[in-house]
Amino acid sequence: MEMEEGEGSTEEKYDVDIATTASSLGGSGVFHIINDILGFVLYMYQQIPSVLQDMSLDFDGLQTEFTDLEANLTQPDVKPLVRRKLLSRKREVKHEIKKMQKLMTTISTLRSALQLLIREAPGVQRVVLILGGSPLRPQKAYELFFTHSVDVLRFEGDFSKNKATEALSKKTIRALISTGAGSTSCPGPMRLFILVQAPPSLNLPQHFLPKRDFRYNRKFVPLKLRFKCKTQDNETNPPFNYDTNDLIWFQCRHLVNNTQASILAGNRSTLLSAPTPISPGFLSAVPISICLGHSTRGRRRKKMIFKIEDVTVYFPYDNIYPEQYEYMVELKRALDAKGHCLLEMPTGTGKTIALLSLITSYRLSRPDSPIKLVYCTRTVHEMEKTLGELKILHDYQVTHLGAQAKILALGLSSRKNLCVNPKVLAAENRDSVDAACRKRTASWVRALAAENPNVELCDYFESYEKAADNALLPPGVYTLEDLRAFGKNRGWCPYFLARHMVQFANVIVYSYQYLLDPKVAGIISKELQKESVIVFDEAHNIDNVCIEALSVSVRRVTLEGANRNLNKIRQEIDRFKATDAGRLRAEYNRLIEGLALRGDLSGTDQWLANPALPNDILKEAVPGNIRRAEHFVHVLRRLLQYLEGRLDTENVEKESPVSFVSSLNSQAGIEQKTLKFCYDRLHSLMMTLEITDTDEFLPIQTVCDFATLVGTYARGFSIIIEPYDERMPHIPDPILQLSCHDASLAIKPVFDRFQSVVITSGTLSPIDLYPRLLSFNPVVSRSFKMSMTRDCICPMVLTRGSDQLPVSTKFDMRSDPGVVRNYGKLLVEMVSVVPDGVVCFFVSYSYMDGIIATWNETGILKEITQQKLVFFETQDVVETTLALDNYRRACDCGRGAVFFSVARGKVAEGIDFDRHYGRLVVMFGVPFQYTLSKILLARLEYLRDTFQIKEGDFLTFDALRQAAQCVGRVIRSKADYGMMIFADKRYSRHDKRSKLPGWILSHLRDAHLNLSTDMAIHIAREFLRKMAQPYDKTGTMGRKTLLTQEDLEKMAETGVQDMVY
Amino acid sequence: MSNQRKRPNGEREEDDEEDDAEGIGQWERAYVDDRSWEALQEDESGLLRPIDTSAIYHAQYRRRLRMLSAAAAGTRIQKGLIRYLYIVIDFSRAAAETDFRPSRMAIMAKHVEAFIREFFDQNPLSQIGLVSIKNGIAHTLTDLGGSPESHIQALMGKLEAAGDSSLQNALELVHEHLNQIPSYGHREVLILYSALSTSDPGDIMETIQKCKKSRLRCSVIGLSAEMFICKHLCQETGGLYSVAVDEVHLKDLLLEHAPPPPAIAEFAISNLIKMGFPQRAAEGSMAICSCHKEVKIGAGYTCPRCKARVCELPTECTICGLTLVSSPHLARSYHHLFPIAPFDEVPTLSSSNDPRRKLGKSCFGCQQSLLGAGNKPGPCVTCRKCKHYFCLDCDIYIHESLHNCPGCESTHRPKSVSLLEE
Repeated sequence: MEMEEGEGSTEEKYDVDIATTASSLGGSGVFHIINDILGFVLYMYQQIPSVLQDMSLDFDGLQTEFTDLEANLTQPDVKPLVRRKLLSRKREVKHEIKKMQKLMTTISTLRSALQLLIREAPGVQRVVLILGGSPLRPQKAYELFFTHSVDVLRFEGDFSKNKATEALSKKTIRALISTGAGSTSCPGPMRLFILVQAPPSLNLPQHFLPKRDFRYNRKFVPLKLRFKCKTQDNETNPPFNYDTNDLIWFQCRHLVNNTQASILAGNRSTLLSAPTPISPGFLSAVPISICLGHSTRGRRRKKMIFKIEDVTVYFPYDNIYPEQYEYMVELKRALDAKGHCLLEMPTGTGKTIALLSLITSYRLSRPDSPIKLVYCTRTVHEMEKTLGELKILHDYQVTHLGAQAKILALGLSSRKNLCVNPKVLAAENRDSVDAACRKRTASWVRALAAENPNVELCDYFESYEKAADNALLPPGVYTLEDLRAFGKNRGWCPYFLARHMVQFANVIVYSYQYLLDPKVAGIISKELQKESVIVFDEAHNIDNVCIEALSVSVRRVTLEGANRNLNKIRQEIDRFKATDAGRLRAEYNRLIEGLALRGDLSGTDQWLANPALPNDILKEAVPGNIRRAEHFVHVLRRLLQYLEGRLDTENVEKESPVSFVSSLNSQAGIEQKTLKFCYDRLHSLMMTLEITDTDEFLPIQTVCDFATLVGTYARGFSIIIEPYDERMPHIPDPILQLSCHDASLAIKPVFDRFQSVVITSGTLSPIDLYPRLLSFNPVVSRSFKMSMTRDCICPMVLTRGSDQLPVSTKFDMRSDPGVVRNYGKLLVEMVSVVPDGVVCFFVSYSYMDGIIATWNETGILKEITQQKLVFFETQDVVETTLALDNYRRACDCGRGAVFFSVARGKVAEGIDFDRHYGRLVVMFGVPFQYTLSKILLARLEYLRDTFQIKEGDFLTFDALRQAAQCVGRVIRSKADYGMMIFADKRYSRHDKRSKLPGWILSHLRDAHLNLSTDMAIHIAREFLRKMAQPYDKTGTMGRKTLLTQEDLEKMAETGVQDMVY
Repeated sequence: MSNQRKRPNGEREEDDEEDDAEGIGQWERAYVDDRSWEALQEDESGLLRPIDTSAIYHAQYRRRLRMLSAAAAGTRIQKGLIRYLYIVIDFSRAAAETDFRPSRMAIMAKHVEAFIREFFDQNPLSQIGLVSIKNGIAHTLTDLGGSPESHIQALMGKLEAAGDSSLQNALELVHEHLNQIPSYGHREVLILYSALSTSDPGDIMETIQKCKKSRLRCSVIGLSAEMFICKHLCQETGGLYSVAVDEVHLKDLLLEHAPPPPAIAEFAISNLIKMGFPQRAAEGSMAICSCHKEVKIGAGYTCPRCKARVCELPTECTICGLTLVSSPHLARSYHHLFPIAPFDEVPTLSSSNDPRRKLGKSCFGCQQSLLGAGNKPGPCVTCRKCKHYFCLDCDIYIHESLHNCPGCESTHRPKSVSLLEE
């Protein structure tokens, strides 16, 4: 039950006090105030479709519609289909009229009853309006007190409304709104009761029945309003100048039944979504009725409902792009086939909303088999954006379908993003936030706190624990912000609440890692059922994410840290031996029984899961030689020593896991099986030792992680030891890398476990390579084009400089001064033609540094700065952010700016250069990976041997998807426009070019394939002029780019292919 | 059904072909000076015809018209007839570029000249001033004045381009000038901007807000590409922003600014203005004119208040400061207040089975056939009131020059006359 906002608990306190200058309201005043408040309350709590004054208008409208319909039906030449429609509409309208009539008669009898009452007992002092199931258990109650001076207790005789009364009632309603009345909606239908306090002599049995001893539920607090009249002598007059005992309650026999069902479909959507409070300022100048009327009309929006095969799709916008519709059709087929799919659609075409609205609608249409949607995003920012879209969609669905459409959707992120405890949040990075949280929530810490009150605990977590199973989120869509607010409000820990709710939620939005990284997935995602739909958004780099999830690199620093950790563990073991030897023995016994049993661990203690994939973990007991804590520490010491020895090498070494393990066995005496259990054993040990500052123990965890992976996997990995960084051979920085080559390893369990996995992004070309890389069979794989009202992107391939010599970043041409000069000339010319922002991408940091130094020497940079300011991306995040910020400002104020950035850098992946922030993007060269990198070579070899993917093919594919990502930054919506220049002669070759995504290729004209600088300048001029002209957003007859509901219905009749070209 | 399916496809192909032809034409045209043969195309029968760009221009014109009428419908139509307009011409480095031939600068000067004449023709009561931007500094070429000749002279005298461009400096200068004029006048700035960046001494956003506050309506015509800051400026101050595609388009865009823009009712305060209607001096009378300080015989006007002699109208009396006009000047400004409603486009598809359409095969204005090549119905428009059909040329002529619909005038005259008589 919802509580009223007012806090007036004693009789003397009033939530709203309204003073009038009149000495008495008089009977008519009282009547009108009651009447107006009645209307307001009914309206605000969505019991009637519009304000009372407007209702008669609506009623008239319905009647005319009814007569019109009748007239239409009598016409002889009505088609049967139309006739059926008209008939059903007529029935609806008739129904509405009846209901409306009923409502209006009730209200008018209520009014007359009130008038009678005031005639009989003019000095009425207390009136209560109650909304709810019964007067005893109200949802909302409004108590009105009227103070009168004794001498004017008479009734003037007529009920005409005078100006003073009108002003007063307006004032009242304004005051009511400012207290927040009506800002919360009550679920479900209700009835409205009226009670008045009057002397027992009142005799109106037809309208009012006495109700002695009336009192509502004790907990309930009504909202109290007092109308104070200006009385000269007795200002402090108590509200009851009769003896209170003399008055008894009378309940009015007429009650306004709920009329929610009678509200017209169009109206309903707006009314149910009314919880936005109307600001009091808004009402100050205009009469109240007009105001309320406007506010509903303004919000009345038409949205779309259409059918895709047998699924009714609810789409929260008025128009839909043709490609969105196609996307939904394909997605629906994939869901029907219970298979995986691969969909490419350019950014800026509303991929996310198409996806969400189809999947949620699909869920609604199959109520018997509820599917769960798991939506994986790359960044927290994208997560919030997705949830925002979902919120709009959800609101729309709920207004249309009512409570049955309610879902629970939430975002899940790390503690850093969800924690509300200020002390924990003070930690700077993610790992220390985690550790700080564990310090307060680990089970042994809490056990300790029970005895020792000085141990600090997290209040939020404690109250969450106390609420136990009652700690549930009500249905709705929760962004991270909402979760934090909810947690703060209730005093529950949002992080643990969210993790708990994951098993109940219908939609979960979280990061890739929660599914792909076995360390995290084992904890978070293990309870998802098979019927879930998994979506990977922006998944063009998914293979790299998979690989990273299973790769470990060990540096010298790591080993040193691990050594320190081991010392500390050693000390702890000794301490425990002295104080609590029983614990270690208990652990030993548990290990004999098998380590896989983790059932005894509480939720907060799960913080380390095995880095290997669930299917590859042996369900066996831990081998004997590491069961005892000190033995295990010895094993780890030996492992560290061995690794240190390996790091001391002078040469680059590459080894397979098998040979690494055998040499480890012969030199350090550690077997494969022992290695395999390292991670679990460490976890168990740290648990036993009750270690909470996990962030300090990261190095030893990394080492054990490495050991376990080496022990578990023989194929798909290799171990590479490099004594120094290739680019800086003079600085020794040995690194030992266990690199995974097979992206399919990490994602395989996801494909196996779940019914449908959707992989989608703006750039997935060539689309046939992804299934091979990830080794799965998609039932649908398609690439969609962008439908545009105008050619708003202009890709060009520039092969020659201004001196007609070829340009390229090929290794042998890279340092050629001619190429560098030509690139410089290109940029100088371009900045004088292109307004506002220009973005340049280079193939690597070193190349960028080199070329900029040369440009600086030859004065090219100076020429550029005459036109535009120049900004750089550096490897320092703060510096880059600052540069980006200033770049945007330079674009805003009209100075114009150039941003130099690097493909595969942070900027290329996550920052948008839309609108005037990027009118042109130049890709200097083809962003191949560093081909001499040992890891890459090993991976290429593996790909060739296992998947029969040629090295060249993979490298080109990878380079081109990076290039497409870079240039794709420039256009983020259809209203936007931008140019893309691929400045390298290699782009003109078919094998390279064909790997660009379809939506870029379709705009790449043959004439633009082999350009020199001067030609490109001319094209740019023409293009920019053309784009600056005003245009129609909806598209012309032939090319429709915004479909309305009618268009879709037509399409359903004629077949999809007809509209979508 | 199959019929329906075919039609849109066919149309689309046509569209594509057209697009391609146009695209190629454009990029090749960029490389040569003026190859007139490329503006030709072959029709079905193998005859050469000029590329029909009239439809495109007409579409642009209609869009403008619709925009204007939509803007007017929103507010009470009230037009500022007394305008104080500053034309800012950007003579920075970029103005020397030769993508307009012979150079942007020359083209700008040429069309501004035409614009000044047209402007005074349509707004006899208004005044113009000229400002140029050069080397990052804004210079006043002429102060506000009503004589076209003096402006044109000042403009043509200084044709050279150099240095950076600064939007802020120009706005500050104009703001300073226009801030002093009386409230009944409409303050406007028209900027011809050829550069693509602006090097400003301070925060231009503040200047824009200042202009907005003093109700300076800033419009910009760009010569090369759309710039965010210009768009922002125009949006904030309620002006128009457009970018010229070629020379003809530039001229159109400029002339678009000649008719007075609709004034927003809240800002436009109705005022009574004192004006003098001077008498033309008698032939042969001799007097010293106050504007040139020369002795002139005949051909002059005498200020009704101070009896000073001025040479031409409209002007401000140099002695007593009275605004001097003649009554035809007032009359000429009148039609802006009662524009003709835009004509409706006649859809070409449904026309074949519309019986009424068959009757009106010729334009009501010029009496030429409305049928295009191959007896296909060409594009045409119809007046909402009199339902007469007009060709596209007549449409433009009626709205831009004539300001009367021939159809309505011929049919409704008796009625309106009788109404007047009543």
